[in-house]
Amino acid sequence: MKSLIAAVATAVVMAPAAYAADLVVYSAGPKPLSGALAKGFTAKSGIKVSLFQSNSGKVMARYQAEKSNPQVDVIISASWGHAITLDKAGELLAYVSPEASKIPASLKTGTYAAQGAAALAIAYNTKSGLPAPKQWGDLTKAAYKNQITMPDPAKSGSALTLVQGLVAQDGKKAWELFGALANNGMIVPGANRAALNPVLQGAKGVVFGAVDYIALGLKAKGESIEVVHPSGGTVLAPRPIMIAKSSENQDAARKFVDYVLSREGQKHVAARLILPARTDVSADRPGWNDLKIIDFDYVAAAGEAAETKKMFADNTRK
Amino acid sequence: MRPALFGLSAVTLIVIVGFPVVAIVLFALFPHINELSFREPFSVLLPNLTRPRLIDATINSLSLSFAVTLVSALIAVPLAYMRAKFPLRFGQIWDAGFLVPFLIPPYIGSLAWMQLLQKNGFVEQALGFNLAGFLFSFPGIVTVMSLHLFPLIYFTTANAFAIIGTRYGDVARVFGGGPVQVFIRIYLPMVFPALLSSCLIVFILTIEEFGTPEILGSRFGYEVIVTAIHEKFSDWPIDLPGASVLSLILIVIAFFAFQAHQRLSDKFQTAIESQTVDKRGQPLSPGYLFAVILIFGTALFVAVVMPLATITISAFMDTLSGGVTASNLSFNNLIGIFDTSSEAWQAILTSLTLAVLAAVFTVLIALVVAFTVVRLRSAATVFLDFLSILPNSVPGMAVAVGLILTWNQTIWPISPYNTPVILLLAYLCLMLPYPVRMITAALRQLPKSLDDAAYISGAGEITVIWKVLAPLLGPIALAAGFIVFAISTRELVSSIMLAPPGVETVATFVFHQFDQGSVNTGMAMSLVAIVVSGSIIALGQRLQGRSRTGSTS
Repeated sequence: MKSLIAAVATAVVMAPAAYAADLVVYSAGPKPLSGALAKGFTAKSGIKVSLFQSNSGKVMARYQAEKSNPQVDVIISASWGHAITLDKAGELLAYVSPEASKIPASLKTGTYAAQGAAALAIAYNTKSGLPAPKQWGDLTKAAYKNQITMPDPAKSGSALTLVQGLVAQDGKKAWELFGALANNGMIVPGANRAALNPVLQGAKGVVFGAVDYIALGLKAKGESIEVVHPSGGTVLAPRPIMIAKSSENQDAARKFVDYVLSREGQKHVAARLILPARTDVSADRPGWNDLKIIDFDYVAAAGEAAETKKMFADNTRK
Repeated sequence: MRPALFGLSAVTLIVIVGFPVVAIVLFALFPHINELSFREPFSVLLPNLTRPRLIDATINSLSLSFAVTLVSALIAVPLAYMRAKFPLRFGQIWDAGFLVPFLIPPYIGSLAWMQLLQKNGFVEQALGFNLAGFLFSFPGIVTVMSLHLFPLIYFTTANAFAIIGTRYGDVARVFGGGPVQVFIRIYLPMVFPALLSSCLIVFILTIEEFGTPEILGSRFGYEVIVTAIHEKFSDWPIDLPGASVLSLILIVIAFFAFQAHQRLSDKFQTAIESQTVDKRGQPLSPGYLFAVILIFGTALFVAVVMPLATITISAFMDTLSGGVTASNLSFNNLIGIFDTSSEAWQAILTSLTLAVLAAVFTVLIALVVAFTVVRLRSAATVFLDFLSILPNSVPGMAVAVGLILTWNQTIWPISPYNTPVILLLAYLCLMLPYPVRMITAALRQLPKSLDDAAYISGAGEITVIWKVLAPLLGPIALAAGFIVFAISTRELVSSIMLAPPGVETVATFVFHQFDQGSVNTGMAMSLVAIVVSGSIIALGQRLQGRSRTGSTS
């Protein structure tokens, strides 16, 4: 017993040294992307990166819980809303990377910028026998009755962005659309994965508001799934990269942001089928010129997020 | 020695369990405690407690927990009785089978049931019908959760039945008692403390369980408190103080459940003189034996084989949309896990190491705590007893936040945070309730005269625990150790929050596969983990069986 305690005690004393790194990055998935970015950056700069990999919610929860003794230098989230919140609270370091000049104005601010973006799309199972949808509104037709799933805006940041964008563009009509979808038997089973799985498994036929790069990646792996970006317009869910003001390695942090936004870093982003933030890096997927994007005020929409989620629930819950 | 033992139990429990739970409570009361500030006290309490639909969620949580506890007991008690009373061949193997549910993470288990029973699921592909209507309903959730949790009651009560032996029943039968009468009037009351104790833990585990209500319940708008808590963790905005406030509700429910359990178990204190752990019942007629094997086989088939087969088939499917066809089955997922890097093996190794350490430490701590609570009874030890069940009432995510708040402070000269030791601490905290409950229940059955005999002969408390009680508690302590081991190898929620950068466990590895990539890769990794830790448990069971026959012969 005593020797066991001694062993643990030694581990406690010894271990912190093993985790000393020059830069701490907390990143939302996909894991191969954050891994590739960290590796590429270290190869280029010689700066060692310690990477905590999770999803956006856990990354932010860890950041919040650590506030009395902050550990993180750079945060990459899949939710633009996180950057808006942290920026408003004054917790982000002001930095505009020289590499950001090729990023559209709507995807960068004085404190954070997009690493890349997902576009929200319709994804349908090609074995389901459903007609190919073209517009968001098509899914209210009888052909799609009881075949539709949608990620819950209360659990998925990208789904929330889609609702915000459609409401910003169409106002009352957007709410009518969600009501009509609910009447057409749409289920809202949880976050993105929970909406996509039943469609892949054939229990349902089509996702309203799929994260396009995930669906495209599955299609590339051989799943019978097709991704449609509605020609009437879709919404981007940008993935912010930002430096914590509390960072003690600000130089290294700036260099890391530069690297991620450089052509080389953006190629890693493109390799995961995510839309690169830079317009001068092309991806093996519908790019900046192929998508019609609904522009709206992300910051204003974030201020009304709670109301939007409630409205959505009221309109879709029977 | 007694004050020292009490001190040891108290300090261990307070450091491992008390600190993180107190941190959560403080966070609920002082929403800026994470910045070490007491500003805006109590400001988040009311907005969260007046949340619309919170009452519905609370009622749902309670009815779910009651139903799952009841159904689990109904499945487990007859099995446990038969296991103890009838000489089943290969009893250890049946037991090993019932440990498998602990190895299956609840979210994987629920996904498997969905894959099996939903529209176009495996059952429909094979037999032409689906049970989606049943699965996505209250009875469906209750069934899935009960099938996952009943082994806890099974192991605890089977041990209790075994300790009683058959003599009491024989006496009753000599005086004309029928089999049902003997079971209800003699055996059931005698195992009541063990039954209650394991029911309490099932109740509290159900209240805290997230995976199944989230995956199945969200399909028909069934919200429980834990799903409401997780909404605050899941995307944006993250609301840690709000989640802590909702966790308080769970702590309060756990408190009342614990109180009820105390009251009831005081009524049914039993002490069985002269224990007969080894002798098992009378030989059975072939007809009865067949019936017993049929019942065990059915339970094992539904609770273990069906989900496990689904996971296995999924693990071999190339694409989800391809269905179960020959051309869609291959080893690609399994190969995919292991060929890219050594990460998968490293993750398995990390998980196994942590799980072994967690099992050993929790059982040792539980032995001391159980002795303190049962034998040195006082108001203070009742508090310790309650403390020991708390971690199971709080969602793993909240415990993880509590641990970060506790250990990520500059006041500690050295801290386990950002080292793998924080994971061990988290597992100890989350797993302690299992061995504490199981061992406390077993200890309540042991007569105090055993201790007294030892004291008269000059033994100290340590000798009594180690030389007298531990050997008698051996089987249950081992079962508890296996359960802790099994659950630790797949613990997800706290691991994913607390793992230091670069450290992966099996569960976090599966999660990363799952989150972005394919469900089937996740299933494949899960299968590997189940097979690896399952084999270790089976090996342990065999060693145990051998050492026991060795010592009695």
